[in-house]
Amino acid sequence: MSLNVDRASTAFTFKGGMLPMTVMELTSADPERVRAQLSSKLSQSPAFFQHTPVVLSVEKLDEPHLALERLCAVCRAHKLLPVAVRGGGDSIKQSAWALGLGWFPTQENRPQAVNSSSDDATAEAVLNEAPLSAASGGRIYRGTVRSGQQVSASEGDLVVIGAVNAGAEILAAGSVHVYGPLRGRALAGIHGDREAGIFCHELHGELLSVAGNYKRLEDIDPTLLGRAVQVRLLEDQLNIETLG
Amino acid sequence: MAKIIVVTSGKGGVGKTTSAAAIATGLALRGNKTVVIDFDVGLRNLDLIMGCERRVVYDLINVIQGEAGLNQAMIRDKRVDNLHILPASQTRDKDALTEEGVERVLGSLSEEFDYIICDSPAGIERGAQLAMHFADEAVVVTNPEVSSVRDSDRILGLLSSKTRRAEKNQEPIKEHLLITRYDPMRVDSGDMLNLQDIQEILAINLIGLIPESEAVLRASNQGVPVTHDQQSDAGQAYVDTVSRLLGEDVPLRFHEAQKKGFLSRMFGGGRR
Ligand SMILES: Nc1ncnc2c1ncn2[C@@H]1O[C@H](COP(=O)(O)OP(=O)(O)OP(=O)(O)O)[C@@H](O)[C@H]1O
Ligand SMILES: [Mg+2]
Repeated sequence: MSLNVDRASTAFTFKGGMLPMTVMELTSADPERVRAQLSSKLSQSPAFFQHTPVVLSVEKLDEPHLALERLCAVCRAHKLLPVAVRGGGDSIKQSAWALGLGWFPTQENRPQAVNSSSDDATAEAVLNEAPLSAASGGRIYRGTVRSGQQVSASEGDLVVIGAVNAGAEILAAGSVHVYGPLRGRALAGIHGDREAGIFCHELHGELLSVAGNYKRLEDIDPTLLGRAVQVRLLEDQLNIETLG
Repeated sequence: MAKIIVVTSGKGGVGKTTSAAAIATGLALRGNKTVVIDFDVGLRNLDLIMGCERRVVYDLINVIQGEAGLNQAMIRDKRVDNLHILPASQTRDKDALTEEGVERVLGSLSEEFDYIICDSPAGIERGAQLAMHFADEAVVVTNPEVSSVRDSDRILGLLSSKTRRAEKNQEPIKEHLLITRYDPMRVDSGDMLNLQDIQEILAINLIGLIPESEAVLRASNQGVPVTHDQQSDAGQAYVDTVSRLLGEDVPLRFHEAQKKGFLSRMFGGGRR
């Protein structure tokens, strides 16, 4: 048994961050066309190309395969640093990983990118995207929710990155997600959203409620305790299933 | 500038006063100029445990109300040179303890001392909140039982929301877990929560573990903080705790049930 490490001596801490990130939305998979456009851009606005990190988006492309390595080389030659790829199928994901890049899935209901009015094929391919919020209109809470504390999201989902201890209460208009043990009370769909759910890594909850339908700890099948579960309303019944 | 450390718990009778006295004594023995303040108005106890109950003239509330100066109210410890006690009032009304008053007293003590230890009353009401309000660090005293852990969790919530550091958005109070009255045999038999479970729920840094020990009762009856009893397990465990508070890396002791040795098996003696 060792004592836990003093905070001052930890080498790092993980922080969630939302950084503004330039997305390079590719409309052509041809590295040579990309090179030509980048070169003309570079002469127009050299200030932009200062080892700027970019996400290569291939969402608009219909190519199952992509000369990703060459595209990256073209970018680097113009002082753009590809850090991740967005969109594409499994093979693109695998090659991104093989190149040491991250991969993001296609953005389903992303607001339509502001297209430049020019119909020119060489129109702006560089877009500055607003930070994406994991729970739109909702709330992310980092840390332990302790006995006597209440954390709520009156709109959208509530995401708790940490434990919800016994005697604590979390509420959301939408769903409740707990990345840690849920020992306290969790109420989802507090304004009546019957589609809302409760998701947690470790179920020990004192009370689970979706749109006013609840289960107390006593009512929960003991074999589900300690498991990763989702809780949903199915025909007015609160249904608890294990995840994964 | 003194470091202000509150010893708190939520639940009553878990060993706050015992720990405040033992930690203050340990810090002073290590050469730090230390004052320990009793915030438990109406149930003053610290003076008994420190063995100075017969020398109390003025108390914290007298000082706050301007009826006595700090130097008149503070009692110098008989055993350790740089240790002082500021007792609570046994008779006065709790409401006499005001936030401004406490701030003023802590402010003047800060200039003179290295450490100010605040012995909090039980509960989560005004008295407990005042004791923690100006703290830089908190020692959260917890017994290995569910209700005590729950109350400590509650106190941790208040520490992060109802204190000056929280209100002013300053660096949060440094929180330490001190587990007291730990009985490894009863933990093994399932009567009590084990160390890992407590740490997992409270999720704060463990500063020490004090075993259940007869030495504590003996010490409090004699009015000598248990830190002075270096033959005892509890006394040694408090010295370890103080070392860790001072930033030293000391291995944990007394958390495992000891296998009975040959002699004690022969003669049926237990561990004390
Ligand atoms: N490690 C220990 N082993 C055995 N007994 C202990 C130990 N620690 C404390 N005690 C006993 O527990 C009782 C309560 O201790 P103490 O007065 O320090 O608690 P407290 O938290 O200050 O109480 P209150 O909430 O009333 O202020 C005392 O009788 C004390 O002797
Ligand atoms: Mg006490």
